[in-house]
Amino acid sequence: MKAKDLMIPLQEYLKPDNTLKEAANLLRIAQRGEEKIGVKALPVLDSSGNLAGILSIGDILKAVHPAYMDLMNLGRFAWDGMVEAFAQKAAGKKVRDLMTAKVITVKEDATLMECIDYMLKNNVKRVPVLNKETRVIGMLYERDVFYEITKTMLGDNTGGKK
Amino acid sequence: MTHEAVANSTQVIMGYSFWIATGIFLIAYAIIVSEKIHKTIVAIFGAGVMLILKILEQHEAFHVEEFGIDWNVIFLLISMMVIINLMRPTGVFEYIAIKSAKWGRGEPFRIMAIFAIVTAVLSAFLDNVTTVLLIVPVTILIADALQVDALPYLISCALASNIGGTATLIGDPPNIMIASKAQLNFMDFIYHLSPVIIITMVFYVFAIKLVWGKKLKTRDELKQRIMAMSENDAIKDPVMLKKSLFVLALVLTGFVFHGVLHFQPATIALFGAGLLLLLSKTHEPHHILAEVEWPTIFFFMGLFIIIGGVVKVGLIKWMSVQVLAITQGNMFATSMVVMWFSAFASAFIDNIPYVATMNPLIVDMAKQLWPDLSGLSLLHHADLMPLWWSLALGACLGGNGTAIGASANVIVVGMSEKLGKRISFGKFMLYGMPMMVMTVIIATVYVWLRYYVLKI
Repeated sequence: MKAKDLMIPLQEYLKPDNTLKEAANLLRIAQRGEEKIGVKALPVLDSSGNLAGILSIGDILKAVHPAYMDLMNLGRFAWDGMVEAFAQKAAGKKVRDLMTAKVITVKEDATLMECIDYMLKNNVKRVPVLNKETRVIGMLYERDVFYEITKTMLGDNTGGKK
Repeated sequence: MTHEAVANSTQVIMGYSFWIATGIFLIAYAIIVSEKIHKTIVAIFGAGVMLILKILEQHEAFHVEEFGIDWNVIFLLISMMVIINLMRPTGVFEYIAIKSAKWGRGEPFRIMAIFAIVTAVLSAFLDNVTTVLLIVPVTILIADALQVDALPYLISCALASNIGGTATLIGDPPNIMIASKAQLNFMDFIYHLSPVIIITMVFYVFAIKLVWGKKLKTRDELKQRIMAMSENDAIKDPVMLKKSLFVLALVLTGFVFHGVLHFQPATIALFGAGLLLLLSKTHEPHHILAEVEWPTIFFFMGLFIIIGGVVKVGLIKWMSVQVLAITQGNMFATSMVVMWFSAFASAFIDNIPYVATMNPLIVDMAKQLWPDLSGLSLLHHADLMPLWWSLALGACLGGNGTAIGASANVIVVGMSEKLGKRISFGKFMLYGMPMMVMTVIIATVYVWLRYYVLKI
């Protein structure tokens, strides 16, 4: 089993110039497999189609969480309506300013163990899959790796969808 | 004192090693100012070059007080950082900040003034960067809650931390360095610098009222957000808090009496850090130790070695001869030159390398003025003392002049940039420079009045 066999082929992606509002919408309705149920992260491709970064729903959470709250334990002193106020301000921000630019990727012929190795060591739950021309051809999600493992554990081929 | 002795004491042999050492010193400082390479790397590499070229022997760099690393400074800094790192998770600093905001009753300017005073007091006992890192996040939260511009709060906090840090031996790195070099104790600083800083803070609060007082307005329902905060919720670990406060009280008492008890400040601080580590019952000291600002510590160590090299070859002595030639040995004039030059120099370059250079310069100057004296009778000569205080006041207060003048300013500007509120170099200077000039004028009047008119 290789990365390319388990990945979800690339369908939607973001551009660095997209606003957070556009990105949030796409994350919410993006296709996963056959269904439009949303995804937890999307790759960001520049105008020439190269991988520029990745934007996850965690980045959206970070966008409404002001940097000064990282520095101290201030959560207890927040007030009702604070998130909504920051969400309004964040809606116009650009994807390029909030995406993770240093992306952990795997090659299409990476073995399953190599994929798991990268995921665990870098603490990421989804990785873009690159072909030999370093183009993004799909996304490998933790959940699909999990299904693959359960198939073996349960000793059948119905443990999960492919 | 014979004429020959004077000639000898001012003679500097400008040989091969003189120029090499001077070259290393100038290039290192130029790169530090240009910020092309991280200052810590420059300092470590510069020190390495000094040693490998044998300008300074390793033994001199590590073990000779006159040329080498000032371990008193190093261990005082490390120990205080360890104590603060252990205290931080208790939530005590969040508690102080929230409590202050509530004292301000949600009034924007009242809160600004209280924050400025709290920042100044904390800075007097913790290092300025730590203080700013602890106060600024809460400050912005409060400004957001009140829906007022956070920038005035940020700038006023940075300026207040530099003023407050000047008040004590442990408040600001220049003071730690001066204290160690001049063998001045904690109470000397309290006696000579704290009074002028208290006066300065009074003027400062009036000044910020003048600048920002009328611009800060909020609505009553927003004030309720502040009043609804419960500062007691900030305390995460009451047991550790008690231990920390006990050790902190012990350390501060130790500082007060270290002169009488003949302990160096680093001894007191190291004991406190060791004790608090023990009381914390942590099994993972590497977390606490990893949070020590090692780049700063190594910056100091590298600098001390570079300075040791130029002291050894006589560059600093040569510079001190030039300063005395300009002021013609008039101590009041020298004092004023030191203070104002230090202020403007520290506004544009890091005051740590600046004071590291000035310390031996003042010692060399004293040696030329009083060649027969040595030890404490030289370092604490009645005519020399105002110079140390002028250096401390100039170097610390000068940091307020520009956005790069002090580490606290750099931190504040960096933080506000992250928040999408950029403070430009010019904007900071617009507020910082007048405040710097005002505070140095107060210091000038103080030094003149106290040491040259009243002579107390």
